[in-house]
Formats: sequence, structure tokens, C-alpha cells
Amino acid sequence: MPSRLVSFINVLRSHDLRISPAESLDAVNVVTRLGYADRESLRAGLSLCLAKSAEDKAVFTRCFDQFFSYQLPEARTDETAVGDQADSLPGVDPQALAEADKALAEASGEGGGSLDLAGEMAADPSLASQLDTPLMDMLQSDDRNGLSLAIARAGDAVGLPDIEMFTQKGQFTRRILDELGESHIRSAVVELENRGSGALGELQRYRDRLRELVRDHVEREYLLHAQGRNAQFMDDVLARARLNNIEHHYSQRVQALVRRMAKKLAARHARKRRVTKRGQLNMGKTLRRGVPNDGVLFELHWKSVRRDKPQILAVCDVSGSVAAYAKFLLMFLYNLYDVLPRVRSFAFSSHLGEVSDLFDQHSIEKAVELVNWQYGGATDYGGSLVDFAKLALDDIDSQTTVIILGDARNNNGDPRLDIMQSVYARARQVIWLNPEARVMWGSGDSEMPRYLSCCHIAAECSSLAHLERIVDQLLRSHR
Amino acid sequence: MNALDFPQLASADVIVEGFESHGYICSREIATAVFLACQLRKPILVEGPPGVGKTELAKTTATLLDLPLIRLQCYEGLDEAKALYEWKYGKQLLYTQVLKEKLGDLLQGAKGLAESVERLHHFGDIFYSEDFLEPRPLLKAMQSANGAVLLVDEVDKSDYEFESLLLELLSDYQVSIPEIGTVKATSTPLVFLTSNNTRDISDALKRRCLHLYIPFPTVELEERIIRARVPDVDADLRAQLVAFVHGLRQLDLKKVPAISETIDWARSLLLLHAEQLDEALVRSTLNVLLKFQDDIEATEPELRSLLSAP
Repeated sequence: MPSRLVSFINVLRSHDLRISPAESLDAVNVVTRLGYADRESLRAGLSLCLAKSAEDKAVFTRCFDQFFSYQLPEARTDETAVGDQADSLPGVDPQALAEADKALAEASGEGGGSLDLAGEMAADPSLASQLDTPLMDMLQSDDRNGLSLAIARAGDAVGLPDIEMFTQKGQFTRRILDELGESHIRSAVVELENRGSGALGELQRYRDRLRELVRDHVEREYLLHAQGRNAQFMDDVLARARLNNIEHHYSQRVQALVRRMAKKLAARHARKRRVTKRGQLNMGKTLRRGVPNDGVLFELHWKSVRRDKPQILAVCDVSGSVAAYAKFLLMFLYNLYDVLPRVRSFAFSSHLGEVSDLFDQHSIEKAVELVNWQYGGATDYGGSLVDFAKLALDDIDSQTTVIILGDARNNNGDPRLDIMQSVYARARQVIWLNPEARVMWGSGDSEMPRYLSCCHIAAECSSLAHLERIVDQLLRSHR
Repeated sequence: MNALDFPQLASADVIVEGFESHGYICSREIATAVFLACQLRKPILVEGPPGVGKTELAKTTATLLDLPLIRLQCYEGLDEAKALYEWKYGKQLLYTQVLKEKLGDLLQGAKGLAESVERLHHFGDIFYSEDFLEPRPLLKAMQSANGAVLLVDEVDKSDYEFESLLLELLSDYQVSIPEIGTVKATSTPLVFLTSNNTRDISDALKRRCLHLYIPFPTVELEERIIRARVPDVDADLRAQLVAFVHGLRQLDLKKVPAISETIDWARSLLLLHAEQLDEALVRSTLNVLLKFQDDIEATEPELRSLLSAP
């Protein structure tokens, strides 16, 4: 019984729910308390221990309905009864079967004319032995439960839950059919065909029905298992891909990914507002608190420092070549609102302007679009730095991190290194993110080597994975 | 440890009925959560928008089981001294003063400092015994002999350090006090934690809890809640006002009215002897439902369509 539960948990995991072994154990306990009989309370109970946020609950409900829609009838049947059924089918009541066959044969005999399947079987013992399988019995008696159970078992036996690509569907269907012993039916069909028997149609109908059932099963399992896994694979690929290569129709997906990464980072770097310095006595407070106790210093108070909120100034090149990267950096920073409440953003290419307001007024995605539209054009680093100095140089203090994103390709203009130097001197740190590979820095009109002298950190940043690493570092330095 | 086998919590259905008899109308999910929390001895973390009855759930459970409700309201800066235990410094001091003479007697004849200290050691940790311990809510819940309902309210307002403090308590129902040792719960308390989602609760804490999300109720459920809480409102008006509140929840508001606001509104309408909702009445009582001027202004142009909807 738990094996079903385990595979359900695997399905949930493939849909991005994080479920620990301890929670799986809880789920097992829940199931033993509630049983499978009442679907509603089972769903309520499992969602208590497997889905631990409102979003997770929505995913959970969808998966539960999909997964147990066809698993439940099976799960509800007593395990032993199922075993009995399966074991006993080959030889349980040959007598009854024979009688039924006979009755059928008679019936067809009375009908006269062409032979049907039972008649053929009665007439040809070799054919009968070929078709005398539990599978055929189930097909003939239309035993849906038995069939779906047999198919599920065969599916597990051939490793259907590992299905990854839709191209594997046909292959798995074939393997399950083989596992079920469909080959007998196939050869019987061939034989009947050769013989030109009238029973051919009936047998073909059984065969087609079986194939349809198996195909359905494979399809469902594919949706359940492979979709989630493929989504994970896709996320992996996207995280590593160069950001300007990511096609437009993936943008939804990438945004979700950025949000998730940002959430993870925010959880890791939760902000502390006060930090006590253990070991340094706050004498004043300790004395005051001692007054009611006759001046005895029972309660010790330690010195603490109030953490200032870090300020981030993000300066992004939004000219054509780098715009895509700027978009993701800004998305990242604004998704970290919980840990980084003071983010100001500037966009430039020919001139520079502050764009923080756009982010206050619009959703992040919309604001990024607007920024690209307003400030796109040929890049002028020197002029933009002058603008930046006018706007923000006075606000840069020891709590400020300046992040500059750009390829430093200045179209051979004046780089205005002096401004960069004064920024460098004032800020807590200056981070330069360059989407170009390190070997390209300094080639052609790139001013990167000269700007490097004014950066605490300079890093190549061309994929989400890079971006995540940089932001992680940034947050760590502000703890 | 078997104090959790309450007949009142025998199954989800019994719980639904029990709660109903105490005026708390709940969905099946909630009842299942309480049932499982009791069976598995796990705390419940209740999340949901403000005003859907998270705190009320704990209160009602306490009334239903006839157990004391021990409540710990969380806030930023809450620490062990306020949540767990504290030494009674004043009492310790008073006793040492009173016993000064006695101490003098005891130490009489001791030669040198070393011997005096040696003698004092024999009296060990008298001043750090349970008599001088001031139990705060968490410890109190551990110590209550017949079980208790512990409500840790708005855990999202506390610091991360406090969350870690809760971990030992929630997984093993015990707390460690350095001077005394480990205090184990005499009978497992039923623990509710509530959170308003102002920040994410850490995974470690979530892992130890059953997670119950209470959303806004369906129309049908909310009508039943109003009927239980404000029985004098007649059926027509009740249906109307619940439908109106549900309409409001669809609007883009700063603070969406919750069940508690619906109840308040029903009560005010009752006081005004209203029999029918009309625009003027709603306009004059809207401040019961909506707590921001912006929201009220945003709603006023919509009133007519909200009232006429169904």
C-alpha cells in the first residue's frame, strides 16, 4: 500500500513540492489513520502534511485528483483479494469456463452459419491453449478492474514511471503489451487470418481494446511523471543558458524561475535588525535594570548594534546588446524586496536616468519593458556616469552597494574613470557584471580593464545561474 | 502522555458537530486537521488571511475539550525570557537578604575562603531550583498536568531566533533549561501556531507541523457562520449581506473584509433594524467592513452593481 503513496509523493516532488522524508512518514501515518475509503478526508489529511503553503496546496490538489482518479478503485480493493483474483485466474474454475465455452458454442451453433471465437477455440485445441490466458479471460468478461490492475503491474514491471520523453510512449506501450502476454493474441490473430475464419473480427476487437487501454495508461503516466521531470530539466537548462538566447516564449517560465531563486536567497539571508555583541556589557542598561534589585546586577545586558538597511544602486546598460541581462538583474533585485528594501535602479545607454519610480508603479515585468523602451540607444559610458554622479553620488555611503551591469563598450568615448574612482571610494562595494566572457574583456572598444581598477568584484554574468551566485554573494556581504 | 485521547476528537465528523455546538462552523479540512493533530501529536500551523478564524479555532478547541488555553502572542524581539521561563530575580534577592543571618551561621567555623565555598556547594543550586523559576507560556503548557491548548499567535511576527527556539518544543514536547535540565511535557499539549503570511515561516518549522490553510469561506459556509454567530438576522438579509461581502472580495482592495468583519456588519445591521440592504444603508455602514478610506472610496462607485448582482 505505501508504494502507491511513495509514487504519489514522487509525483509531487516532480511538481516542485519539497517533501522531506519526515513528511513522507507523516503522510504514511495519516493514511493509516484515515484510510483510502473517504477521498475527501484523505485529500485534506495528506495536504496537511505534504503541501505547506497556499501555492503548494493548489498544486497538491491538482496532482491528487489526477493521481488518485484511477488509482483509488484499485487501492480500495483489499490487497489480498486482488492477489487472489490475479493468482486464481489461470486455473480457478476451468470447469465453469469450459461450461461457458460450451454454452457459447452451442449458442453459435444454434445461430448457424459462421463460427465465432469460442467455436474456433472449441474446434482447434492449439488455438484454445494459445488463448486460454488470464488476459483473454479478463478481456472476454470485460473485467475492467482486473485489466487496469494487470496493466498497472505490467507498467511498473517495465519501468513506466521512468518515462521521460513523449517519443518513448510507443515503446513503452509495446513493452507493456508484451509483458501482459499480448503476443498470444497476436499470433492467434495471424493464424485466424490465414485461415480466413469468421472469428477474426471478434478477436481483433479484443486486441484493439487492450491496446487502447494500454495506450491510455501510458498517456496518463506520461503526463503524471514526465511532465514534472521535464519541467525541472527545462528549468535546469534555462538557468544555464545565456540570457539573451532565451526565447521569448520561455519568458513566463524564466520569470517564475527567477522568483523561485530569489525566494530561496531571501530565505537564506533573512535580515537581522539588531545584532548583539556577546561579551561587551551595556553598562548603563545593566545598572538601570539593577536598581529594583537593590543595585545588584542580576540581569546583564549586552551591547548591540542596529543594522542599517543596505542600499543597492543598480546601474544597468539597456542598449540592445545587454538589455536582456539588465532585465533579469532588475527582476532579481526587485524580487528580493524582503531582504533588500532599498533598491534604486538607473538605466542608461546614451544618457542615464533613475527608473525606481517605474518599479513602484508597475509590475516588475511591465517596468522592465518600459525601461528598455525609454533608455535604449547607442552607449555612452562617460556621459552616463556624469548623469549618475549628478543623481546619486551624494547618496552613496558605506552601506551602499553599486552594481553596474554592462559590457563596458564605450564606442571609443571618454570612460570618465574619475567618477568611477569617487564611486569606488565612497561605496561599500562596487560590483561590475559583464555579460561578455572574460577573454573578451579589453578587446576592441571595451574599457573593461580600466574600469576593473574601480571595482571590488567584477564577474562574468551571462546566465541565471551566474546571476544567482552574484546575488547570493551580495546578500552575504550585507549580513 | 495519553492525554490526547479525547472522545470529543474521536473523528472528523464528531469534531465538526462539537465545534458547531460551540458556535464555530468549520469545513471538513479544518476538522480533519484537528483530528490528525490529536492522533499524530503534531502541532498545527494555521495560515490564512486575517480574520478567517485562526485564533478562534484554538479558542474553540480549548472550550470544547475544557482545557486551559495558554496563549503566547508573538512580536518582534520576543525572547526566551518572555516565552519560556525566567528566574525570579527579586525573590532570589529577597531570600538571600532574609537568609543572610542563616548563611552566617552556616559558614561559622569555616577556615578560609576555600572551605566556605566548599560548604556553600553543599547547598547546591537551591536558588536555581523550580521554586525560583517563573514559567512563561511555553513552559506553562509543558507543565500543565491535564494537558492544555497552546496557542502561539502570529508566529510570523517573531524573529527567526524565536522560531528555532520553538523547534525543540514542537518536535519533542520538551524544553531544556541549562540550570535544571530537560523539562518534558507531563501530557502533550495541543499546539496551534497561527501566521498571517507577513513572511515565510522557515522550512524546519513547517516540517514539524501539519499545515492548515484556511481560505475565505464559501458563500454557503459563511451563511452558516453568520447564522450561528448572529442568529437574529433573518434569512433574506443574511443571504444578501453574504453575497455582498463575497462581491467585495472580488474587488482589488487593500484589506479585504474577512469573516470577523462580516459578523460585525451583520450585528450592526441588526442594531439598525435593517430588513433589506439598500445603497444608502450600505454606504453608511461600509466603514464596518472596510478599514481604509482608499478602499471605501474605491468601493462606492461599485455599490450599485454589487447590490444588484444576484
